[in-house]
Amino acid sequence: MTNNSLRNPLAGLRVAITGGTSGLGLALVREMLGRAAEIAFVARGREGVERVVRQNCRAHGIVGDVSNKDDIHPLAIQIVGALGGLDVLVNSASDLGPAPLALLGDTPCEDLERALATNVLGPFRLTKALLGALASSAREGRGGVVLNVSSDAAINPYPRWGTYGASKAALHHLSRIWDAELEGEGIRFLSLDPGDMDTPLHALAVPDADPSELKRPETAARELADAIATVLSDRNGSRCARSEAAKETPYDSRQLAHSSSHGSEVVGG
Amino acid sequence: MIAASLPIHRHTEAKLLVVDRTGSIRHRKRSEFVALLRPGDLVVANDAATLPASLSGQHLRSGRSIEARLAGHRSLSPDDSCRFSAVLFGEGDFRMRTEDRPLPPAVASGDWLVLGPLRARVEEVLGHPRLVTLNFNGSPDQIWEGLSHHGRPIQYSHVPTPLALWDVWTSIAGPPVAFEPPSAGFVLDWQTLASLRARAVQFATITHSAGISSTGDKELDALLPFDEPYRIPESTALAIRRTRERHGRISAIGTTVVRALEHAAGLDGVVRAGEGLATQRISAASRLRVVDAIFSGTHEPGTSHHDLLRAFTDDTTLSMVDQELDEHGYRTHEFGDSVFFERNWDRSCSEEAILASQDPRPDTGRVMQ
Repeated sequence: MTNNSLRNPLAGLRVAITGGTSGLGLALVREMLGRAAEIAFVARGREGVERVVRQNCRAHGIVGDVSNKDDIHPLAIQIVGALGGLDVLVNSASDLGPAPLALLGDTPCEDLERALATNVLGPFRLTKALLGALASSAREGRGGVVLNVSSDAAINPYPRWGTYGASKAALHHLSRIWDAELEGEGIRFLSLDPGDMDTPLHALAVPDADPSELKRPETAARELADAIATVLSDRNGSRCARSEAAKETPYDSRQLAHSSSHGSEVVGG
Repeated sequence: MIAASLPIHRHTEAKLLVVDRTGSIRHRKRSEFVALLRPGDLVVANDAATLPASLSGQHLRSGRSIEARLAGHRSLSPDDSCRFSAVLFGEGDFRMRTEDRPLPPAVASGDWLVLGPLRARVEEVLGHPRLVTLNFNGSPDQIWEGLSHHGRPIQYSHVPTPLALWDVWTSIAGPPVAFEPPSAGFVLDWQTLASLRARAVQFATITHSAGISSTGDKELDALLPFDEPYRIPESTALAIRRTRERHGRISAIGTTVVRALEHAAGLDGVVRAGEGLATQRISAASRLRVVDAIFSGTHEPGTSHHDLLRAFTDDTTLSMVDQELDEHGYRTHEFGDSVFFERNWDRSCSEEAILASQDPRPDTGRVMQ
C-alpha cells in the first residue's frame, strides 16, 4: 500500500453518488473529486446532470430516477460500466414527503408512497443491484462501503416530519441489518446524519430558516467523506484491528458520531 | 432434455447430477451443492453482469429492420465500449426460434445501423453475412446510456415471457461485460455464500466476458466460443495458490471460469493475475492444469459447453451422464438443472491433484443418496 492511500484512502476509488446535482449530493461529488476518487453520480433531470458534468468534467453523469424500479438496472450498468467496478456507494437522493411539512393525518398517501420509493425502495434496489460489484471490491481489498444518508428524524419523533422520519428510520434499520448480514462479505454499511444543512430540501421543509445558522453542505460532505475514509483505512491498515474495534463499538454509537448536536426540532438531510 | 421455460434462478426442486473422480454418477438436489465441497476447497465464479445485448433497429441503406446481438469485445476496459462483434438477424423476434429467423439485409463495411438512440457503423463483415464488427458513435458514457435503455437481454424462444435484466443477473453480478448470463452462477445467492464460509470453503471471483452460447446458425455455432476477454484479480490468483498449497480443490462455477483459469495458467499450472483474452477451445484433448471440478448447467451433446465437459471425464461416462439426464427428466438451458463433475482421477496432471485425491479426510460430500 502506498503512502498516498494511507493518507487518502479514497484516491482512485470508484464511487457512485445518488442525488448528485443539488445539496449534499452535489457537495459530495465535489468533495470526492477533490479526494481524487472516480465518480459516477445519478440525478433525475438531464439538464442538471449535464450542468454538473460541465463543471466537473471528470465525473460521469447518469440520468435516472432511483424511485423507479425499471431504472435500477440501467443505472447499475451505467455506474459499473463507466467506472469498471464499484468501491463505494452513497445513497443521498431523498424525498422530503409533503411540502410544506404536514401532520401524518394530513399527509396524502401518495406523498408517503413517493418518499418510501425514493428513500427506502430506491436505495434497497440500487444497493441490491450493485452488491455483486461491492462484494468483488471487498474481496479485492479495495472497498465495499455503502453510506446511506440518514437524519436525526430517523430516531426522534418530530411532529410534521412523519413521512421523512419514518422513511429514514426504515433506511437506517435496513442499513444496520445489511451491515450485520454482509460483514462476512467485507461490505460495510454506514447510516449517518449529516446535520441540518443549507440545502434545497431543507429550504422546502423550513422556508423561513436562517441559512447562516445551518451547516454548509460542503462541511457535511467533508465529514461524511472522512467517515468513509476511516472505514476504508481501518480495513486497509489492519483487518484484524478493525474487526476487534467493531466488536467493541456498538453500531449506534458509531453511526451517531456525526449527528448534529443542536436541541431544536429542526432537522434536515 | 426438457427446456426450462421459467426464469427462476434457484428452483427449490432443482436437480444436480454428480460425477465423482471415479466416474460414478449420483443424483442430488441442487440445494445440497455446498455439501459436495470440503473445508479448504476454493469455489471460483464469474462476476460478469449480463448486458442487454439485443438491439433492434434499422439498416439505414436498405431501410429494413434488423436485430444486432452484441457477441463479444476485445477488452474489459470501461472506455472500450464502442467496438463490439455482433451477430445480425433479420425480421422477427425472440418468439421465433433463431434457426428460423431470416437472414439480415446484406450489409457491407461502412453501412450504418440505427439502433434506438445509438448509431453504429459496420466496420467489418467477418467472413459470414451475420457476423460483423460494429463501431458505436459517441462517448463511452453515451454508449453505456444507450445500451442500458434500448438494449434487451438476449431472449430465448423456450422462455415464453420476455426476460428482464434482473432475470439474467446473478446475485454476484458486477461489471456488465457478459453477453449471455454466466448462468451456472444462478446457484449462488448470499445465503449460499454464507454457507460456504461456514463450511470453511473459500470463495473468489474472476470477470469473464461470456459470449453468446448459440446463434441458431450451424456455420457460426461451429466458431463458438468466440474469443473472450477476462480479468483475474490478485486476490483470486492468491487464493488459488493457497488452495493448491493446502491441497484443496478448485471448483469452477460455469464453463467460463474453466476457460479463463486454464488460459491464465502457465504450463506450471500457476494462475497469474491480470487481464487476458481466452482464445482456446477446451475439449477431450485439453489437459486441465487448474480446475479440479466444475459446477455447470446441463448441456446438450454437440455444443461447445458439452465438449468442455470431455476435459473432465471420458466419453463413456459422459454418454452415461447424457442418458441419466434424459431418463431422470433433467431440464436444460439457462434456468435448468445442473451437473457437478470432478475431474476424472486419470486426468489429474499435477502432483497436488494426486495428493488431493489421496486426501484421507472424511468426504461428507459424497454420501450416496
